[in-house]
Amino acid sequence: MKWPIAPAVRKPGLLNLVPVLVVVIGLVLLFPVRSEAYAGPGAGFAVLSSFWTLFVAFLYSVYAFLTWPFRHVLRLLRRRKAYGKAQVTRAIILGFDGMDPELADRFMQEGKLSHLAKLRDQGTFLPLRTTCPAISPVAWSTFQTGVNPGKHNIYDFLARDLSSYLPFLSSAQIRGPKRRLRIGEYSVPLGKPEIKGLRRGTPFWHWLGKAGIFCSVIRVPVTFPPEKFPGVLLSGMCVPDLKGSQGTFCFCTTRGAGDKFREGGVRIPIERHGSVFRSYIPGPEDPLATNSGSGLRVDFELRADLRHNQARIEVDSQKFTLKIREYSEWIPVKFKAGLGFTARGICRFYVKQLSPEVEVYVTPVNIDPGRPDLPISHPVTYSIYLAKLFGPYATLGLAEDTWALNEEVLDDQAFLAQCYANHEDRERMLFDALDKTPQGLCVCVFDTTDRVQHMFWRYLEDDHPAARKVPRDQRPSVIEDLYRRMDDLIGRVMDQIDDKTLLLAVSDHGFKSFTRCVNLNAWLHQNGYLALNSGKSESGDWFQDVDWSRTLAYTMGLNGLYLNLKGREREGIVEPGTESETLKNELRTKLNGLVDPASGGIGITGVFDCDAVFAGPYVDNAPDLIVGYGAGFRASWDSVTGRVTTQLFEDNTKAWSGDHCIDPRLVPGVLFCNRKIAEEKPAIVDVAPTILKLFGLGLPTYFDGKPWTVAPEPSK
Amino acid sequence: MKLPMIASVIAMRWFSVVALRLPLINSPVMLVIAVSLVVGLLMVLVFRAVSDQKAIRAAKDQLKAHLLAVRLFQDQLPVVMQSYGRILRGTARYIRLAFKPLLLVILPITLLIVQLDRYLGWMPLQHAQPFLVRVRAVSPDALNEVSLELPREMALSAPAVHLPADSEVVWRVVAEINGTYNINVAAAGETFSKQVVVSQDLARISPTRRRDRFWERLFTSGEPALPTNGPIQSIEVAYPPRNIDLVIFESNWIIVFFVLSILAGFVFKSILGIEI
Repeated sequence: MKWPIAPAVRKPGLLNLVPVLVVVIGLVLLFPVRSEAYAGPGAGFAVLSSFWTLFVAFLYSVYAFLTWPFRHVLRLLRRRKAYGKAQVTRAIILGFDGMDPELADRFMQEGKLSHLAKLRDQGTFLPLRTTCPAISPVAWSTFQTGVNPGKHNIYDFLARDLSSYLPFLSSAQIRGPKRRLRIGEYSVPLGKPEIKGLRRGTPFWHWLGKAGIFCSVIRVPVTFPPEKFPGVLLSGMCVPDLKGSQGTFCFCTTRGAGDKFREGGVRIPIERHGSVFRSYIPGPEDPLATNSGSGLRVDFELRADLRHNQARIEVDSQKFTLKIREYSEWIPVKFKAGLGFTARGICRFYVKQLSPEVEVYVTPVNIDPGRPDLPISHPVTYSIYLAKLFGPYATLGLAEDTWALNEEVLDDQAFLAQCYANHEDRERMLFDALDKTPQGLCVCVFDTTDRVQHMFWRYLEDDHPAARKVPRDQRPSVIEDLYRRMDDLIGRVMDQIDDKTLLLAVSDHGFKSFTRCVNLNAWLHQNGYLALNSGKSESGDWFQDVDWSRTLAYTMGLNGLYLNLKGREREGIVEPGTESETLKNELRTKLNGLVDPASGGIGITGVFDCDAVFAGPYVDNAPDLIVGYGAGFRASWDSVTGRVTTQLFEDNTKAWSGDHCIDPRLVPGVLFCNRKIAEEKPAIVDVAPTILKLFGLGLPTYFDGKPWTVAPEPSK
Repeated sequence: MKLPMIASVIAMRWFSVVALRLPLINSPVMLVIAVSLVVGLLMVLVFRAVSDQKAIRAAKDQLKAHLLAVRLFQDQLPVVMQSYGRILRGTARYIRLAFKPLLLVILPITLLIVQLDRYLGWMPLQHAQPFLVRVRAVSPDALNEVSLELPREMALSAPAVHLPADSEVVWRVVAEINGTYNINVAAAGETFSKQVVVSQDLARISPTRRRDRFWERLFTSGEPALPTNGPIQSIEVAYPPRNIDLVIFESNWIIVFFVLSILAGFVFKSILGIEI
């Protein structure tokens, strides 16, 4: 699918005069005398700018050449340690978030994935056991650290605050500066915001880097904030947008106030002033505001040209023309606070319609990679380097706006265009990293596989409740096309590798249909484990109206079930020890095998005790039980946000129609390799020790994964 | 698109004709500063109008990326060397993109500098200060017939010196009071005049009147050409060259203009968001 963008601005026609001017100026220069020896600042700029570039390059060259012998000796010393016993000179790991082994196998059988089939036939294709729970941040954290969640501290996208029962992002915390100076109406921050990574453990590329093996790591989830190591890294999933959220789109419309979006977006009114429509993009909180809730904004104007089905948009003194149902390029926007404070971001505009109503979708405002306000890469210059090389790109962790499609702000086509535009950017980054990493490790994770399967699984099944509006003969084969694209990418990577290179294609989990929602909070309520305030039969989000003094257990997030433990939760009532163990066993027994009366399917196929599945210093932060939903089921949208409803099971009619946050045994990922791997049941936790071993490094004792036995050469 | 070009030419003309009449900039230093600022601004505007800003931005970004690559991947010599190659190619591409608009701004700037050089390149003569008038004839034989006729306010301060080897005759003259005069050179029955400016103020000066080619005359003379078949090749008045005194250093005005106009251009391009 092509990414539609606004047409390029025409070059000035005056350049047609150039040949004439060349002749005239040539004649002038034939007779040089004093006064025309200097041809003005234009020449000065050109000379100075190009000279400056060459001068800086020259300085770098001198520095590089002078220091190169020393660095080379150091590197050799370190590399001897690393490459001395290495079986490979380069390892390439392509991560395809959510690539499903069953689907891959099916498409390979049908002859649709020739490159993956080649890897299968000449090397390895196996299901890759995922983590418990089978959630991306959990699985990718295990992938990079080689340990179970009890040692890396990530159990879900969200964790809960024990004092308030409210959620917070499990991977990173961003706090404003502690000290502020009050000047009149302003509260000036003294210092930088504090960004704290919450994932523990050491990514395996740190070990490689220390041994002198260069690593390029691109968009691996849960790498924000980026950690210092000898290599380059661009952070992936969990990088926030400029508002600090995980992605808040903006839908500007002239329609009257509609329903509030459930999640992920805000509706902004467009005001009409004659032929001009005015609206704004909401931004981050004003850093100088004395009271919270006063957000910054960037205004924009739109002039509709109905005759040509296009609009002229002016934002931040930039003007561009946009056809209906086309995305703009990335537009830089600057949110201005007082006293010269600004926040810079980039976003894309999409004009949905101009008549009878004007509707404009604006992507979440991403951190500008060329001028990042928060560190999104290591070193900081790496994101700038990529932005200069390829132009601006999406930096938000969850860059594909699934919420906008879920809320029907975007349609299928617009969503896919967004996904594949981001994917193409990622491909460019990958191939540049391959170019820059002739030896060492190159890891790149592609999210498109996850997002597209989440949103288009409905078209794989005849009777998915989310696809009932679309006639069967009109359902596009989006997922098959997705797998073909990934296969094509793997083919291009295979063309670039030699026999000394190890190629791994892995996914963190597989996929299953999501047709039925389970509100576990409703079940807990109906079965006497969760109490509401008197007179209430339902609660609002985040346990509004829950009576904690009578609540034994609750659930929030995708798979976690928590006991309301005394001494741990603010209003805990379950005594730790025998009482809590008894309660856990009781819940496990009752929930395991829970049947959906409407469909007859088993809603829950496994409930896992955290004490049995996790081990490590951060087990105390884990949910007490992990709920493994059956195939076709998942936690309901309400249950995820801590809402108690009356309905236990309901149809999932949202575009988000496939999922993996279920029983981990049902959704293994994939493992493709260009060498034979002698392992029957490989797991994602084994990747880190395997790579270290292939580079000849010793393994840290705390690793939970075991290295695979990999054939020394690719099979022919 | 022609509008910015036309506007810039008009603005330059305005400066050379009108602005010089303003008392505030009837001082060489102020004039050079003012002109540098205005030219710096105009040039970036013209540059924006006639250049492919998108392509220049992309070329500069690529250059920066390759520079960063040298730093980011410094331990990998093949990558570093590859980046150097790309930097050189990128620089060539950038210069090529900058060259087109450069051509378009060279002409008006050159003409402006020629005009300004008439005011700023030399100082007018001072009264009571001797100066030389040098006449070059077509041949040494013609020198015998050449004579100088001075206005009342001027007088010879030494006898004429004949330089047959150069076909030249030189007079030393002194002016008694300020003013703009015509001195006449008579030869072979014809009379040729030459303007002489004696003043304390900034004034338009033409050091030479000549019969040579148009282009040469354009840059060195502000007076009509001498007859092509006449006995005189050129009449030159030796005006003292002017230096601009910027307290910390003294220099020819073109160098000052060079530095200041570039600085002004860089400031304006940043303010206006123009890629150069």
